[in-house]
Amino acid sequence: MNDLAWLTVAQAADLLRTRKLSPVEYAKALIDRIERYDRSLNTFLRFTPELAMQDARNAEAEIMRGNWRGTFHGVPYGVKDIVDYAGLPTTAHSKILADNVASADATVVQKLRAAGGVFMGKLSTHEFAIGGPSFDLPWPPARNPWNRDYFCGGSSSGSGAATAAGFLPAAIGTDTGGSVRNPASMCGVVGMKATYGVVSRRGVIPLSYSLDHVGPLTRTVRDNALMLDVIAGHDAFDPGSANRAAGGYTAALAHGVKGLRIGVIRHFYTHDMQADAEMAAGIETAVQRLAELGAEIREITIAPLAEYAACNRTILTGEAFAIHENWMRERPQDYGALARERLMAGAFVRAADYVNATRLRRKLADAFHALFADIDVALTASSMDPACRIDDRQAIDYTYSRQARAPFNVTGNPALAVPIGFSKSGLPLSMQIVGSAYGEALVYRVADAYEQATDWTARHPQLQ
Amino acid sequence: MPDDDLTADEVRKMAAQIGMTRLEDQHVQQLLRATIGARARRAALPIDTLVPADEPAHVFHLTLDEDR
Repeated sequence: MNDLAWLTVAQAADLLRTRKLSPVEYAKALIDRIERYDRSLNTFLRFTPELAMQDARNAEAEIMRGNWRGTFHGVPYGVKDIVDYAGLPTTAHSKILADNVASADATVVQKLRAAGGVFMGKLSTHEFAIGGPSFDLPWPPARNPWNRDYFCGGSSSGSGAATAAGFLPAAIGTDTGGSVRNPASMCGVVGMKATYGVVSRRGVIPLSYSLDHVGPLTRTVRDNALMLDVIAGHDAFDPGSANRAAGGYTAALAHGVKGLRIGVIRHFYTHDMQADAEMAAGIETAVQRLAELGAEIREITIAPLAEYAACNRTILTGEAFAIHENWMRERPQDYGALARERLMAGAFVRAADYVNATRLRRKLADAFHALFADIDVALTASSMDPACRIDDRQAIDYTYSRQARAPFNVTGNPALAVPIGFSKSGLPLSMQIVGSAYGEALVYRVADAYEQATDWTARHPQLQ
Repeated sequence: MPDDDLTADEVRKMAAQIGMTRLEDQHVQQLLRATIGARARRAALPIDTLVPADEPAHVFHLTLDEDR
């Protein structure tokens, strides 16, 4: 059972395609593991083993007939519970939407179902992708598989934790100010926020229309690229969807980094904020490793982190409050305390401030895009700190905004959180690799080269 | 208005003006903290660097059906 728990998507696909592994056997192994261990991790808000077995049996029958659909055929996955799966509630981890049954699949779910994926269930989130970790909601918060007393990041908490725990090889999360990359960083997995518009947002409960991204979390870089291959693509029903060809994200893997120019945004984690010493040292070691692999390292300077953060938060809270205003009038008591307070920040954002934030956004994005004339990818911190205790309210509040992810929601560029080792206390460390617009393949190439030169993804948490 | 001067009574009135009349006392305290925080973020926006020609990031444009 343990071997199947740690199969990568790529390994599983090979075994499934060649009929050396049964989709039913694979799904059963993961179902057993989830039933055994998830009581202490709460990664699933709604676990659906019956649907998983149905998908697995269908996949098995098709593959036995010789109709292998592709990489995700027979591969288990889960989705954050703000993503619609027809016939199941999409609760956003909130009492407000406890009875909100989806009438149709989100586009990403449509794509994963069409690819033959095995749906395992809906994964825990922060309330409405903004309020958590919270203990005053109808469902408990997910916990970190490396140490269940610690925060697993969010808001795609269950997606990161379930993937790290070996419950799933791949999961879907969403990212408005860093919510795919935060749990990826805290849980030691790989999380991608692709270029704005690459992955459809249709059927996903919005937090902030112009900043929301849907993205994959996996245990390896290759798996992440494989999942993005499945879920990316133009969607006429998403007004923000990019009308251009998508895919080919694995094409540059294994090409190495020799000669590539990597711009390190060091001031984000040494000047604008002071990262935890172990995190900063881990990033510098990773930069050195990339240099040893042949990359040309140069330091770059962009706008201060605080400008991006203020821009992101003004837009995010303004748009989010527009969505929540009616519920705030009618049912304020039905929110958890954290979501209520974070959403209330948008109540009195003036129209002029919102518009000015979007004007700054264009300037920040244009300036960042211009850098790619001289670099191939950028590299910086993801979180400034390793995970803190989940019950330490003060530490949660302190670390909540100590991150360098929101800048790339503002600019829209692809950004990937990549594991870079562990703290002395055994908690994951991470960095972020950022690409030019639609430059996901190159981001994956750099991350893959680093991953192949280290052994971090071969390490797994011991569950109890 | 200096941000530090905002009071719970004032923010309660502001909330009532936009229809948020069901807030409990603890909710009003949350709204007060959230509003003060939002104003601090607004102050951190370097809007003095903007000139009239700087347009918003998402400006409306029409899309023909065949371009969808």
